[in-house]
Amino acid sequence: MFLSATFATLILAAPPAPFEFKDGDRIVWLGNTLVEREQRYGYWETALLAANPGKKLTVRNLGWSGDTVHGEARGRFDYNNAEKCFKQIVDQTLALQPTVIFISYGTNESFDGKEGLPKFEKGLAKLLDALAPAKARIVLFSPRPFAVAPSLPDPKPANEKLALYRDAIKATAEKRDLRYADLFDEKPAAGTSTENGIHLNENGYRETAAAFLLSLGYESTGFSTAQLEPLRQAVLAKNEQFFNKWRPQNETYLFGFRKHEQGRNAKEIAEFDPFIAKAEDEIEKLRKSLTK
Amino acid sequence: MRHIVFALLLALLPSAAFGQGKATVPDPDPELERKTFIVAPGFEVSLFAADPLLAKPIQMNFDPQGRLWIASSEIYPQIKPGEKANDKIIILEDTDGDGKADKTTVFADGLLIPTGIAPGDGGAYVANSTEVVHLSASKPGEKADKKRILLSGFGTEDTHHIIHTFRWGPDSHLYFNQSIYIHSHIETPHGVRRLNAGGIWRFNPDKTQLDVFARGWVNTWGHAFDKYGQSFATDGAGGEGINHVVPGGYYLTSQGPHVQRVLHGLNPGSPKFCGLEIISGRHFPDDWQGDCITNDFRGHRVCRFKLKDDGSTFASREQVEVIKSNHPAFRPIDVKMGPDGALYIADWYNPIIQHGEVDFRDPRRDHTHGRIWRVTAKGRDLVKKPKLEGATVAELLEHLKAPEQWTRDQAKRVLHEMGKDKVLPELKAWATAAIAAEGPDRDRHATEAMWVAQGFDAVVSMPLEVIMFANSGRPELRAAAIRRVALTPANIEKNFSLLKERIRDESPRVRLEVVRALSVLHRADAAETALAALDLPMDKILDYALWLTVRELEPHWMPEFQAGKLTFGGDAKKLAFALNAVGNKDTVKPVLTLIDGGKIPKENLQGLYLLLTQIGGPEELAKVLTYAGTKDVAAPQRAEATNAVEAAIRNRKVTPPKDVAVLVPLLADASDARAAALRIVGLWKLAAHRAALEKASLEKELAPNLRAAALEGVALFGDANAKAWLTKLVSLENAPEVNRLALIALAGLDMPTAATKAADFLIGAKPEPELLDLYAAFLSRKAGVPALAKALAGKTIPPEVAKLGLQAVRTSTLTVPELVDALTKAGSLGGARKPPTADEVKAIVADVEKADAARGEIIFRRKELQCMACHGIGGAGGQVGPDMTSLGASAQRDYLVESLLIPNKAVKEGYNAIRVVTLDDKVYLGIKVREVGGLLVIRTPEDKEITIAVKDIAERGETKSIMPEGLTDTLTKQEFADLTRFLSELGKVGPYAPSKARVVRRWQVIDATTENLNMFRRARVSAAAEPDNTFVWSPTYSMVSGDLTLASLPKFTVWNDTAAQSVLRFNLDVTTAGAAKLKFNSIVGLTVFVGASPVEPKAETLLDLKTGVQTVTVLIDRSKRTEDLRIELDDVAGSPARVAVVGGK
Repeated sequence: MFLSATFATLILAAPPAPFEFKDGDRIVWLGNTLVEREQRYGYWETALLAANPGKKLTVRNLGWSGDTVHGEARGRFDYNNAEKCFKQIVDQTLALQPTVIFISYGTNESFDGKEGLPKFEKGLAKLLDALAPAKARIVLFSPRPFAVAPSLPDPKPANEKLALYRDAIKATAEKRDLRYADLFDEKPAAGTSTENGIHLNENGYRETAAAFLLSLGYESTGFSTAQLEPLRQAVLAKNEQFFNKWRPQNETYLFGFRKHEQGRNAKEIAEFDPFIAKAEDEIEKLRKSLTK
Repeated sequence: MRHIVFALLLALLPSAAFGQGKATVPDPDPELERKTFIVAPGFEVSLFAADPLLAKPIQMNFDPQGRLWIASSEIYPQIKPGEKANDKIIILEDTDGDGKADKTTVFADGLLIPTGIAPGDGGAYVANSTEVVHLSASKPGEKADKKRILLSGFGTEDTHHIIHTFRWGPDSHLYFNQSIYIHSHIETPHGVRRLNAGGIWRFNPDKTQLDVFARGWVNTWGHAFDKYGQSFATDGAGGEGINHVVPGGYYLTSQGPHVQRVLHGLNPGSPKFCGLEIISGRHFPDDWQGDCITNDFRGHRVCRFKLKDDGSTFASREQVEVIKSNHPAFRPIDVKMGPDGALYIADWYNPIIQHGEVDFRDPRRDHTHGRIWRVTAKGRDLVKKPKLEGATVAELLEHLKAPEQWTRDQAKRVLHEMGKDKVLPELKAWATAAIAAEGPDRDRHATEAMWVAQGFDAVVSMPLEVIMFANSGRPELRAAAIRRVALTPANIEKNFSLLKERIRDESPRVRLEVVRALSVLHRADAAETALAALDLPMDKILDYALWLTVRELEPHWMPEFQAGKLTFGGDAKKLAFALNAVGNKDTVKPVLTLIDGGKIPKENLQGLYLLLTQIGGPEELAKVLTYAGTKDVAAPQRAEATNAVEAAIRNRKVTPPKDVAVLVPLLADASDARAAALRIVGLWKLAAHRAALEKASLEKELAPNLRAAALEGVALFGDANAKAWLTKLVSLENAPEVNRLALIALAGLDMPTAATKAADFLIGAKPEPELLDLYAAFLSRKAGVPALAKALAGKTIPPEVAKLGLQAVRTSTLTVPELVDALTKAGSLGGARKPPTADEVKAIVADVEKADAARGEIIFRRKELQCMACHGIGGAGGQVGPDMTSLGASAQRDYLVESLLIPNKAVKEGYNAIRVVTLDDKVYLGIKVREVGGLLVIRTPEDKEITIAVKDIAERGETKSIMPEGLTDTLTKQEFADLTRFLSELGKVGPYAPSKARVVRRWQVIDATTENLNMFRRARVSAAAEPDNTFVWSPTYSMVSGDLTLASLPKFTVWNDTAAQSVLRFNLDVTTAGAAKLKFNSIVGLTVFVGASPVEPKAETLLDLKTGVQTVTVLIDRSKRTEDLRIELDDVAGSPARVAVVGGK
């Protein structure tokens, strides 16, 4: 029987050893649209929780569309320069006192091709150095490849560039002895996983949850999607409350340069905490009740 | 005396108590609201839908079936913790065609402040906070159960800025806008798109292509396309009325690489507008076709503007309102033509707008009401609603001929959704027949066919393409065809030869489109082609467009130019334009060659010298100084060039040239160039000219600005000799003016000595306003405040002198308690001012009820209050603070009272100040204008733009308002109430409503100073009309009514036996030459000049105006005239002229 090269790689490569999570781990997830949108669908986060029975894990998704290792998407009206953007990404992460940090960048940077690689590598190194005070275990994720779509008839040139960034991430992980999680070599997403060729849709997150787990060394959750649905709903509810807290609307008036006008309402932001805590309790309850 | 000094008001209550103020929550009965409407003659307004059918509409758009889709939010302005986001998209239907909605469907809920809605592709595109989503229902007519996220990463920093104003363009792309605070980062398969300020996005959902269509504005809450696809926008916080959108153009408050120049709206001095629609169709009378309708949501008005061609752009003129009202909750915010040819208006219905100034949780905020009003013409038939759903391709194509743009746009939408394979073959046949038919509408049909094909990324047919580009058709069609071509680089590449022809098109509109289309083509010869526009007449917009294109294409043409491969046909004018546009150091050599070549037209020469000051080194600056010292260069140009050299030395640290003798003529110049030259000596520390500086500093009869310059020059040497010289001059044997100016200079050099000597000086000083400058010298330096406070300890200074010090502190808006204490003690003054309590504000608001707005207007205009130095009304007045045209219609009285007493409490967006401390310890305050190329430009409280090199900045931070506290402290209680009353009436229906008439509001007047009088005696009064006259003019402004009060004007008698005179002037901006007229309320006692030529004044004075800014000078014989003066600009029937009255400061 003839095996295509890709398929052969897939089955011949030994699955990586599972990345070990500890009870009570606080995971902060940094990245671009891939990460940001995961919080709206929650399949990956749910799978991660389900694959770690007996451990309480909390996940804080700090993904931001258009973001890069330099924190480019995190500028504001009163601070929009490279230094401040970078400070944001670091401060936002450290404030959550993570024990584990997922870092998922490279896709947006890859549009700059080979010429942009040194800037990306330097930026990634700078980010890792800046996050060192957290003393967290860090996982570096590769980007996902692009797929054929009406918006992207030929993803090949883009994927060649993405591969360069994947290699750079992998090399950094090896150099710094960090965990590398490969999302790149999976089969390109099928037609129903993505509409524009670069972002997963709901179906896409559901279908790639296994590949996501595998990248961390977990074979399977052992549960069906239907069994996990209540847990996923609880994850989504928590994510919504947390999103409203950490990226509230009207930031200009609450915390920005017009806080002297409506900053008095910023006290409401802390009032999200009990709702988040309640949502976490619900997750915990549902996770514990999962039985095979 | 009943002088109440608000400074003495008592302790501060928790500020949360405010906002309850004078709550006016009206009776929500729609009929009561409708009865307040004053409707344009011949029209009537009926209610289409009201709560509970809908609540809090934000945007509305019709679908091809004629159903009205509405994005609405009850959560706005901010979700509460634990609250479930449950905002809705609803669909309103008038199923029985009686003009009233009878069915409402909740299409989607669970949304968080959806601010945009566009039906399409089996559902609707919706702005959902950070995302653009497509929602659809599996079962037709039911609630949406499918959601696709199409784009994400839109900012949410302000919930009335988040993406809004969805609108399908003629190209089948979805256009939507974002506002100033929003930072958006969107990943697409073609790259990441970022927009870190306001702007208009263009989105092709079929290909996930996203571009920035235009940049800037504060709140572009209106966007509409005319029948040929030209784009127009309105701004809900800018004050420039209708904006003609140039593709890729930068408007007010833009961010991006080319912010050095921005485009402006067509109606400066307008109130803020929301929504925009263009009237089209048989239900409206002929003279309404093509008119723009937008909403003055603060002033409760639905406004109408008429557009006319004006060169490459348009002129826009306000007409009688469609609706005006004084109902406090009538908030028209969107406007759309409907399927029946009537005009629909979404009324957000809220007594409170905004959530910056007014608390998120203010109980007066309405969360439950909302209306859709329907405007119809009396006695005119409605249009029969077309049946588009389920129609055949042939039927839909025939609908493209409809007189109603609504029908044409919706038919295009349906055709687009049917798909290319079904539509394209029939479209080709239809288009061929439609074009063969000739007739007046042929070109409109061709345009529609072209856009339908474009939606499929196709062209109709080659013959049609050729016709579209041919001279035979309408220029609007050619402009549209070029707009279409510019959508993709591949298309432009293919049509490059056509563009090369069309750059010489007879229509400036077409040339504008070509110039902008070429910016997409990344080739050197694209720039060369664009510059061919200079062979035909240019106008301001074309000039801007060419400037932008040349800059955007620089990476492609500059290398070729430097390699000698691109020569612009040896045309010096084109080269000068290109080099000037780019203005970087690569262009120094070619600029020098151009100047030395001697072939440059004289009017371009000054520009090139100024360019040299921006990009050149020491020897280039010497060249500019040589030029500036030449007598045949006019005085204002000499000063401009010398000032530019000074700025170059300050901002770019350019070192002195070899030969510094080039300064000699300028140091003896009689113009303002001398002041700059004196400072340049100090900046460059030129020993050769030091003696000249010292000599100048002691010259008798020297103008204060020159003496100050000489002393600053001395101080800039910064050595022991400079200190010694200045210390000598501060000794009290010298004239007080010399003392004062020397102290100011010394403050930059030796702060402790300066402070000690200043304290001594103040003991015997007279309380003259010039002392403010002395105090400012200390306040503007970090070390100055403690030093002066220390030096004043134990001294006694005159109370009035100390008060001036406190005034200077307030103007600086600094918090410096130690200096305030020192001044208070030294001047033996009473306690400091305190903010008012809630009860006090309430009491004042009660007084305002009984106060008199007319008296308030007079108070507003008092010079010492300085209101008009910073705030304009109807575009006339200072530009530092927000324009007040419709202030009263949006601001509650408690808010006005607080803003006058505590300016920092709530600051209008775009008017927050920044504070910058430079490395030499100087403090600057102002509104940021732009920051580009390492230079920060701010507008100071004095309405001056100053440039600071970013690398010279040691500290920068936000401050609040630059409006000084205590401006109103000297008012009596009654005066304060009158002033507030006046402000609260601005923009309301009544005597203080915004005027549509183009009245002259901004004047300049000759003050009765000795210098001016002497000049008159040497020449004659009419010398004031000569273009290069050197009289000192001061600004003055008409009343809101448009009358200029004669009593307030300075008058003077030149000779003893002659009548007293007043001399005034104003400017007209003529963009298309031709006849226009001035309407005088009376011509008694007037002599009028246009430029230097006398014109016989008549009640209606006909003028033949040339293009450019024209000055009209008016001499008033005060012995003959006592009546106030009102002059209104008006059109002359059939004249092509496009003229505007110039506003501003």
